[in-house]
Amino acid sequence: MTGGYETVAIGEIAIAALLLIRLAAGPTISDRVVALNAISTQAAVAVFYFAAFARRTVYLDVPLWLASFSYLGAIVWSRYLERELL
Amino acid sequence: MREAIVIALAAVGGIFSLTAAVGIVRMPDVYCRIQCGSMTTTMGALPLLAALVIGEGPLTSYGSRALLVAALLLVLNPAAAHALARAAYKTGVPLWPGAVTDQVRDQASGGARGEGP
Repeated sequence: MTGGYETVAIGEIAIAALLLIRLAAGPTISDRVVALNAISTQAAVAVFYFAAFARRTVYLDVPLWLASFSYLGAIVWSRYLERELL
Repeated sequence: MREAIVIALAAVGGIFSLTAAVGIVRMPDVYCRIQCGSMTTTMGALPLLAALVIGEGPLTSYGSRALLVAALLLVLNPAAAHALARAAYKTGVPLWPGAVTDQVRDQASGGARGEGP
Protein backbone atom coordinates (compact mmCIF):
# COMPACT_ATOMS: atom_id res chain seq x y z
CA MET A 1 0.00 0.00 0.00
CA THR A 2 1.90 3.01 -1.26
CA GLY A 3 -1.10 5.22 -1.99
CA GLY A 4 -1.26 8.47 -0.08
CA TYR A 5 2.29 8.58 1.17
CA GLU A 6 3.26 11.25 -1.33
CA THR A 7 0.30 13.38 -0.21
CA VAL A 8 1.60 13.45 3.35
CA ALA A 9 5.14 14.24 2.16
CA ILE A 10 4.00 17.16 0.01
CA GLY A 11 1.74 18.45 2.79
CA GLU A 12 4.60 18.41 5.29
CA ILE A 13 6.81 20.31 2.84
CA ALA A 14 4.04 22.90 2.44
CA ILE A 15 3.79 23.27 6.23
CA ALA A 16 7.56 23.72 6.45
CA ALA A 17 7.31 26.42 3.78
CA LEU A 18 4.68 28.16 5.93
CA LEU A 19 7.12 28.07 8.85
CA LEU A 20 9.73 29.86 6.75
CA ILE A 21 7.73 33.06 7.36
CA ARG A 22 8.57 32.94 11.06
CA LEU A 23 12.15 31.96 10.27
CA ALA A 24 12.53 35.06 8.11
CA ALA A 25 10.58 37.51 10.27
CA GLY A 26 11.33 36.37 13.81
CA PRO A 27 12.13 39.38 16.00
CA THR A 28 14.67 37.53 18.14
CA ILE A 29 17.05 34.62 17.64
CA SER A 30 14.87 32.43 19.86
CA ASP A 31 11.97 32.76 17.41
CA ARG A 32 14.18 31.66 14.58
CA VAL A 33 15.49 28.69 16.54
CA VAL A 34 11.91 27.59 17.36
CA ALA A 35 10.92 27.84 13.70
CA LEU A 36 14.04 26.00 12.56
CA ASN A 37 13.39 23.22 15.06
CA ALA A 38 9.83 22.76 13.81
CA ILE A 39 11.01 22.88 10.17
CA SER A 40 13.55 20.14 10.74
CA THR A 41 10.97 17.93 12.46
CA GLN A 42 8.57 18.38 9.52
CA ALA A 43 11.40 17.70 7.08
CA ALA A 44 12.31 14.46 8.87
CA VAL A 45 8.71 13.24 8.67
CA ALA A 46 8.50 14.29 5.01
CA VAL A 47 11.66 12.36 4.13
CA PHE A 48 10.26 9.32 5.94
CA TYR A 49 7.09 9.43 3.89
CA PHE A 50 9.04 10.04 0.70
CA ALA A 51 11.18 6.99 1.43
CA ALA A 52 8.05 4.91 1.95
CA PHE A 53 6.59 6.32 -1.28
CA ALA A 54 9.69 5.73 -3.38
CA ARG A 55 10.42 2.32 -1.81
CA ARG A 56 14.05 3.21 -1.18
CA THR A 57 15.51 1.98 2.10
CA VAL A 58 18.61 4.14 1.62
CA TYR A 59 16.65 7.32 2.30
CA LEU A 60 15.73 6.15 5.79
CA ASP A 61 19.08 7.15 7.24
CA VAL A 62 18.45 10.79 6.35
CA PRO A 63 15.53 11.51 8.78
CA LEU A 64 17.25 9.54 11.52
CA TRP A 65 20.27 11.81 11.49
CA LEU A 66 18.17 14.87 10.73
CA ALA A 67 15.97 14.37 13.79
CA SER A 68 18.81 13.64 16.19
CA PHE A 69 21.11 16.41 15.03
CA SER A 70 18.40 19.06 14.73
CA TYR A 71 17.62 18.64 18.42
CA LEU A 72 21.30 18.70 19.26
CA GLY A 73 21.45 21.93 17.26
CA ALA A 74 18.57 23.47 19.21
CA ILE A 75 20.19 22.60 22.53
CA VAL A 76 23.54 24.02 21.40
CA TRP A 77 21.88 27.22 20.16
CA SER A 78 20.13 27.72 23.48
CA ARG A 79 23.37 27.11 25.34
CA TYR A 80 25.14 29.73 23.25
CA LEU A 81 22.27 32.15 23.89
CA GLU A 82 22.26 31.50 27.61
CA ARG A 83 25.99 32.06 28.03
CA GLU A 84 25.80 35.20 25.88
CA LEU A 85 28.32 33.96 23.38
CA LEU A 86 26.40 35.42 20.46
CA MET B 1 -9.31 -1.85 8.70
CA ARG B 2 -5.57 -1.22 9.00
CA GLU B 3 -5.73 1.29 6.18
CA ALA B 4 -8.51 3.19 7.96
CA ILE B 5 -6.37 3.44 11.11
CA VAL B 6 -3.43 4.65 9.04
CA ILE B 7 -5.52 7.28 7.29
CA ALA B 8 -7.04 8.48 10.58
CA LEU B 9 -3.63 8.80 12.25
CA ALA B 10 -2.15 10.59 9.24
CA ALA B 11 -5.10 13.00 9.15
CA VAL B 12 -4.71 13.78 12.86
CA GLY B 13 -0.98 14.35 12.42
CA GLY B 14 -1.41 16.53 9.36
CA ILE B 15 -4.12 18.69 10.93
CA PHE B 16 -2.13 19.19 14.12
CA SER B 17 1.01 19.98 12.13
CA LEU B 18 -0.87 22.63 10.18
CA THR B 19 -2.40 24.21 13.29
CA ALA B 20 0.97 24.22 15.05
CA ALA B 21 2.60 25.90 12.06
CA VAL B 22 -0.13 28.55 11.97
CA GLY B 23 0.37 29.01 15.71
CA ILE B 24 4.11 29.50 15.32
CA VAL B 25 3.48 32.13 12.66
CA ARG B 26 0.65 33.92 14.47
CA MET B 27 1.43 33.71 18.20
CA PRO B 28 2.48 36.99 19.83
CA ASP B 29 5.29 35.76 22.03
CA VAL B 30 8.37 33.52 22.04
CA TYR B 31 7.01 31.37 24.83
CA CYS B 32 3.67 30.77 23.10
CA ARG B 33 5.61 29.90 19.97
CA ILE B 34 7.71 27.40 21.92
CA GLN B 35 4.49 25.75 23.08
CA CYS B 36 3.26 25.50 19.48
CA GLY B 37 6.62 24.17 18.39
CA SER B 38 6.39 21.42 20.97
CA MET B 39 2.93 20.59 19.65
CA THR B 40 4.45 20.14 16.20
CA THR B 41 6.35 17.15 17.52
CA THR B 42 3.99 15.76 20.12
CA MET B 43 0.73 15.81 18.20
CA GLY B 44 2.03 16.28 14.66
CA ALA B 45 5.06 14.11 14.06
CA LEU B 46 4.28 11.27 16.45
CA PRO B 47 0.87 10.30 14.91
CA LEU B 48 2.41 10.53 11.44
CA LEU B 49 5.26 8.22 12.44
CA ALA B 50 2.77 5.90 14.17
CA ALA B 51 0.78 5.80 10.93
CA LEU B 52 3.92 4.76 9.08
CA VAL B 53 4.66 2.10 11.69
CA ILE B 54 1.13 0.67 11.47
CA GLY B 55 1.01 0.90 7.69
CA GLU B 56 4.34 -0.81 7.08
CA GLY B 57 4.50 -3.06 10.10
CA PRO B 58 6.88 -2.50 13.01
CA LEU B 59 9.43 -5.09 11.87
CA THR B 60 10.05 -3.77 8.38
CA SER B 61 12.92 -1.36 7.82
CA TYR B 62 10.55 1.61 7.41
CA GLY B 63 8.54 0.85 10.53
CA SER B 64 11.55 0.13 12.74
CA ARG B 65 13.27 3.36 11.74
CA ALA B 66 10.06 5.32 12.27
CA LEU B 67 9.65 3.77 15.72
CA LEU B 68 13.25 4.68 16.59
CA VAL B 69 12.79 8.29 15.49
CA ALA B 70 9.49 8.53 17.38
CA ALA B 71 11.17 7.39 20.60
CA LEU B 72 14.02 9.82 19.97
CA LEU B 73 11.64 12.75 19.42
CA LEU B 74 9.66 11.82 22.52
CA VAL B 75 12.82 12.04 24.63
CA LEU B 76 14.53 15.01 23.02
CA ASN B 77 11.60 17.35 22.37
CA PRO B 78 10.87 18.40 26.00
CA ALA B 79 14.59 18.88 26.66
CA ALA B 80 15.00 21.14 23.64
CA ALA B 81 11.83 23.12 24.40
CA HIS B 82 12.87 23.65 28.01
CA ALA B 83 16.38 24.72 27.05
CA LEU B 84 14.99 27.15 24.48
CA ALA B 85 12.51 28.71 26.91
CA ARG B 86 15.19 29.05 29.58
CA ALA B 87 17.62 30.65 27.14
CA ALA B 88 14.95 33.03 25.86
CA TYR B 89 14.06 34.10 29.40
CA LYS B 90 17.67 34.57 30.41
CA THR B 91 18.50 36.65 27.37
CA GLY B 92 15.66 38.98 28.29
CA VAL B 93 13.16 38.32 25.53
CA PRO B 94 10.10 40.32 26.65
CA LEU B 95 6.80 38.68 27.44
CA TRP B 96 3.66 39.56 25.54
CA PRO B 97 2.20 42.76 27.09
CA GLY B 98 -1.08 40.97 27.76
CA ALA B 99 0.57 38.24 29.83
CA VAL B 100 -1.01 38.03 33.26
CA THR B 101 1.76 36.48 35.32
CA ASP B 102 5.52 35.89 35.41
CA GLN B 103 6.15 33.30 38.08
CA VAL B 104 9.92 33.29 37.67
CA ARG B 105 10.14 37.01 38.40
CA ASP B 106 7.69 36.75 41.30
CA GLN B 107 9.64 33.90 42.83
CA ALA B 108 12.94 35.75 42.40
CA SER B 109 11.66 39.00 43.93
CA GLY B 110 9.76 37.34 46.78
CA GLY B 111 12.43 34.78 47.60
CA ALA B 112 14.89 34.60 50.47
CA ARG B 113 17.52 36.75 48.81
CA GLY B 114 15.02 39.41 47.91
CA GLU B 115 16.64 40.70 44.76
CA GLY B 116 15.03 41.08 41.39
CA PRO B 117 16.34 39.64 38.16
